Amino acid sequence: MRNIAYFWREAWRSLSRNRLLTLATVSTVCICVLILGVALLLTVNAGNFMKHLESDVEIVAFVDKSLTPSQVKAIGKELTAIPGIDKVKFVSREEGLKKLQQKMGMEKLEETIGENPLPDTYEIKASDPREVPHLARKIEKIEGIYKVKYGQGVVEKLFQVTRWIRIVSMAVIILLALGAVFLIATTIRLAIYSRRKEIYLMKLIGATDWFIRWPFFIEGFILGTLGALVAVAILALAYNSLISNMQTVFFLPLVAKAEVVNRIYLGLIGVGSLLGIVGTYISVNRFLKV
Amino acid sequence: MLIQFYNVSKIYPNGVKALDDVSLKIDRGEFVFLMGPSGAGKSTLIKMLFREEKPTRGQIFIASRSIVRMKRKEIPALRRSMGIVFQDFKLLENKTVYENVAFAMEVVGAKPNDIKYRVPELLKMVGLKGKEKCFPGELSGGEQQRVGIARALANQPMVLIADEPTGNLDVDTSCEIMELLYDINRRGTTVIMATHARELVRNAHKRVIILEKGKVVGDYPNGEFLA
Ligand SMILES: Nc1ncnc2c1ncn2[C@@H]1O[C@H](COP(=O)(O)OP(=O)(O)OP(=O)(O)O)[C@@H](O)[C@H]1O
Ligand SMILES: [Mg+2]
Repeated sequence: MRNIAYFWREAWRSLSRNRLLTLATVSTVCICVLILGVALLLTVNAGNFMKHLESDVEIVAFVDKSLTPSQVKAIGKELTAIPGIDKVKFVSREEGLKKLQQKMGMEKLEETIGENPLPDTYEIKASDPREVPHLARKIEKIEGIYKVKYGQGVVEKLFQVTRWIRIVSMAVIILLALGAVFLIATTIRLAIYSRRKEIYLMKLIGATDWFIRWPFFIEGFILGTLGALVAVAILALAYNSLISNMQTVFFLPLVAKAEVVNRIYLGLIGVGSLLGIVGTYISVNRFLKV
Repeated sequence: MLIQFYNVSKIYPNGVKALDDVSLKIDRGEFVFLMGPSGAGKSTLIKMLFREEKPTRGQIFIASRSIVRMKRKEIPALRRSMGIVFQDFKLLENKTVYENVAFAMEVVGAKPNDIKYRVPELLKMVGLKGKEKCFPGELSGGEQQRVGIARALANQPMVLIADEPTGNLDVDTSCEIMELLYDINRRGTTVIMATHARELVRNAHKRVIILEKGKVVGDYPNGEFLA
């Protein structure tokens, strides 16, 4: 226990001895964690957008006008039977017209355009919005349905975008994480090198392996955690000002739930610490022959 | 018996046979000089004592425990029972005299209070009272070696091991250091010292072990061969 103070002191001394490298390492960890954080926040918000779109993203199936009412009913039954469909609502052409009139603020629309041009429709809700495109294709194949509409491609676009974000940020994050680990390993290697005389003495005096290793692990931990802390601070400032200034992006609300956002921040700090420990582990294993 | 060597040979990876079938015993409380020409294997023998090198063949017992079969994690305990003094002192230049000695206690996890109590006592014993805040660069060779000896004694070892501790010092300073070592020996610590300095050994009337080409060629209980 009383050694802990000694380990921290040694780690700190070593960090301040080579300030430039310390700065470079912390910055790299910071950038890596920052990008990871941005990617995570984007993904979480994209997921959130999806949920909000859910209510809008219903499938509208247009029924052939030539069908008899009983045939139309049969289609409704068929729709309900498809797995993955949550709700099916029948909207008759009369109801459709009423809705349209309300929406356009015109009464007696029928008088203007003559005969009601609208078909009967089914409004269908999927239990999982991600299944919408797939379900729509299925519904389109049903006899008596001549057209299917849903979210005008919004769903697919959004999925494409989030997948793209995920792939690109993954690649960038992996590259940066490798860079960060490499820099941390280098910093630790230099620290081991500059203390080699001391380490040799410690061994001959009878210090245990872990007594010698601990300061280096703490040093790596500080490098990683410090970088992540700076990144999280920047991220939190930027995101909070985004929330308070805009609240919504394209009329969709941002995720502001403290528990979600805080979990992301904590996770990011953990990632930074982990990078530090992995980098140290590599150098200690390779260069600290105890 | 404190130290026992049984048919110890050491062949370095490059093929040099540094020790050749060495057997010897050293008792508690003895003062032993290791002598012999350069390359005879003195340093090799000394490094075996604290397991910096392992013998190629043979057995070594310290306090009745085999240190050849010793597991890695038992080595720190072995080394804590020994104090090592170096020819080049091996002081940490960026630490003061006080910190250099305290360092030896810190790295074995001594209590801060014990360190505060023991370091000044050690410095007084080796004659460095008042030099606590000096850095090694500000001291003479003899003073630096006194720091080295204080550090070696910090954890109250059973054995003090010194490889040419006076090798970098002039004759007068060497004699002072020897007096210090005799004093330490009188207080009960076993001392093993490798040296080239015949004049120091001649006046000491201590046991002398002579190595030549890795073999023990002489063992004189009172150094009488030099008289
Ligand atoms: N690490 C090593 N690797 C290979 N050979 C070594 C090593 N250490 C020592 N030797 C060789 O082993 C032999 C004995 O060396 P050692 O250092 O034990 O001699 P010594 O008696 O201490 O000599 P000196 O009086 O010059 O210090 C020498 O031939 C030396 O070159
Ligand atoms: Mg030697």
